[in-house]
Amino acid sequence: VSDVHVRVHIGAESYSLPIASVREIAELGDIAPLPGAPAGVLGVCNLHGRVLPVIGLAGMLGIGHADHPTRIVIAEDGGRVAGLAVDSVSGVELLSASSEDVDSPHVNGSVLVDGVLVGTIDVGAVFESIERGSAR
Amino acid sequence: MTGPDAEVLDVFRAEANERLDRMTELLIGIDDGSAPVDAIDLLFRDVHSVKGSAGMVGFDRTRTIAHELEDQLSAARAGDTLASELVEPLLRLTDAVRRSLGGGDDHDATATDPGQAAGEPAEPPTQTRGAPTIRMPAEKVDRLLDAVGESVVQMRRLEHMLDLSASDENAAWELGREKALLDGMQRAAIDMRTLPLASIVGRYPRAVRELALAERKEVVLETSGMETQLDRVILEGISEAIAHLLRNAVAHGIESPEERERAGKQRCGRVVLRAEQRGSFVAVAVADDGRGVDADVVARADAAGSLVGVLCTAGFSTAAAVSEVAGRGVGLDAVKTHVESLGGSIEISTVPGAGTTTTLLLPYSVALTRVLLIERDGRRFAVPLASVEEVAFVENPLSLVGRQALELHGSAVPLADLAALLGAPSRAPGARPRAVVVRSSESRQAVVCDRILGDQEVMVKSLGALLASTPGYLGAAIVDSGAIAPVLDPAFLTRRLGATAPAPAANGSEPQPPKLLVVDDQFTVRELQRSILEAAGYRVATARNGREACAAIAADAEIGLVVTDVEMPEMDGIELLRTIREDPRRSALPVVVLTSRASEDDKLRGAEAGADAYIVKDEFDQRALLDTVERLLVR
Repeated sequence: VSDVHVRVHIGAESYSLPIASVREIAELGDIAPLPGAPAGVLGVCNLHGRVLPVIGLAGMLGIGHADHPTRIVIAEDGGRVAGLAVDSVSGVELLSASSEDVDSPHVNGSVLVDGVLVGTIDVGAVFESIERGSAR
Repeated sequence: MTGPDAEVLDVFRAEANERLDRMTELLIGIDDGSAPVDAIDLLFRDVHSVKGSAGMVGFDRTRTIAHELEDQLSAARAGDTLASELVEPLLRLTDAVRRSLGGGDDHDATATDPGQAAGEPAEPPTQTRGAPTIRMPAEKVDRLLDAVGESVVQMRRLEHMLDLSASDENAAWELGREKALLDGMQRAAIDMRTLPLASIVGRYPRAVRELALAERKEVVLETSGMETQLDRVILEGISEAIAHLLRNAVAHGIESPEERERAGKQRCGRVVLRAEQRGSFVAVAVADDGRGVDADVVARADAAGSLVGVLCTAGFSTAAAVSEVAGRGVGLDAVKTHVESLGGSIEISTVPGAGTTTTLLLPYSVALTRVLLIERDGRRFAVPLASVEEVAFVENPLSLVGRQALELHGSAVPLADLAALLGAPSRAPGARPRAVVVRSSESRQAVVCDRILGDQEVMVKSLGALLASTPGYLGAAIVDSGAIAPVLDPAFLTRRLGATAPAPAANGSEPQPPKLLVVDDQFTVRELQRSILEAAGYRVATARNGREACAAIAADAEIGLVVTDVEMPEMDGIELLRTIREDPRRSALPVVVLTSRASEDDKLRGAEAGADAYIVKDEFDQRALLDTVERLLVR
């Protein structure tokens, strides 16, 4: 079984998001920080006149050496919407089902594509961590 | 006895139809497998609301059919899934409910009616009205508002780029004209969201008359300004609050006829509900010509600086002798919190012996609010202007027990850095910091910031489901440049310091009564429980759903017991219970589950999730609640 995914890059690592949970990809504009928000939330931004929470995916995944995020992937799950900040987005591709387990609550598994290990982001799990107020 | 007027019925029908549309969609979704997992819960909530409001406007037939639908759903729900073959009968019942509403909105029903026996229109069709109306989801209007807002921002950018101040008068004029047009568009879109206050006052006269009868008092209710328009969301939000104020006025304000005669007043008391527009706000006032608030209390209020503050203090309403006057405080606290969450404020004035007036100052629209924009450490924030008392320079702050205060017109106002209040690491304020004096009826707080950027009318937008439980904000606003300014919650700014103020710690030798958390999505139920528990001497905090409750429990280690409803939006009681049991720090927290249905299934779910006690609402009596709470706290 394979599914359509959006490939994103954070630091030197690659991840994918199932297209069903991706609404849109946009440039990362100004973020207004929101002191007191759960860890992992960078703040809120203005997307087409709406207020959108922005989640730092690098922080959620424990990647220390991320470049500066330049894009947000607007992800949706169970009525919740947020922008996931990533360094770059390279495109849409067919990915076979994840084969390897990954030791992170926010990654469903991983798959090897042309010598690159790609982790599949579990959008629901990321949102639930935010709601519980803890990033990891 | 006259029924509710045509406008109220229109609102009722529109809302019921909206819910029925959603139910139909859900049922069809269950049939083809596209419905969300919580579809059955959503169905329940909708049919329950239709039943409730039908009862209120006296549509007994609608209520009966809705009740039947509720029962069938309940039977079908066993096992948490709904079999496909049950969908069709449920759809037919949904149509029957729709038909029973009558009015001009039953075209869907006639189209799908295959001659079902379930029901004919019970009410005669209402007279046709002059102007045709269009009903649409509020979300569509909001989308229009968003688009207009973006256009305004875009135009300002353009204006900036062209820098028209330099030369071209014609272009400047054209741009000004465009601005006015966009302004008009924004107003028109906002008007779509408003309804007259009259649409919710229909049930009040009857409620007042019945309460007066029960209290053996003579009271007339007068209304004025009911044509004043308010945002629909605000109207829904304040309906209960106004009912509460009217109840207070009749039960505690107006004296008995004999007492009134002795005081030289007319036997019959007057309660006035009036509304008027004040700038971008609407003032809704409930005034009575009763005994007024006790002179002692007024003296205390003068000392404390705010009558609302004294009346809203929980400790006040639980005073050992629950006197008539003390009763005025019951629930007022919740009204205040609620009104503030809508971006409004509350004022109370009283003349001992002559009456009391409580005024709710509400924003005309939830969409547009006047805010003061401030800057701290390079970040922009907004404070609702309704809560801003004044702006001052921070000069020679006073200090006592390590806490700072600012002298303003002869009184000391607590002073704190905005960054510290929000818990944000920041550089020290600049050379000449300013303080915004924020008032949330209970108390005042001077909030230190670097700069004041001026006031602006903005749309306050929700932070979304994901950040709904983040404390401290009413939402966020998109300001002129397209940037975002989080909108600060005045209640949070003032409460935070109150909680850590040295005063309560001083008498730390005296043990504080246990603190309970009441969780229910219905205002009336919450307030009923709060007043019962407070009267028994407990301290009570409240939350509107499981999610809010989790946040409250995490933030307040003093909470020693939770009383929760089962069916609630966002996070239900069972889920809340499970979350508590899974939290290693609070897993031993006693939880009492209250449910409206004596369903074995619910009980089972509750027991599985680890409930300590179970109370069925239909069998609800306060003794049982108090006994249960006491037993669990002793354990």
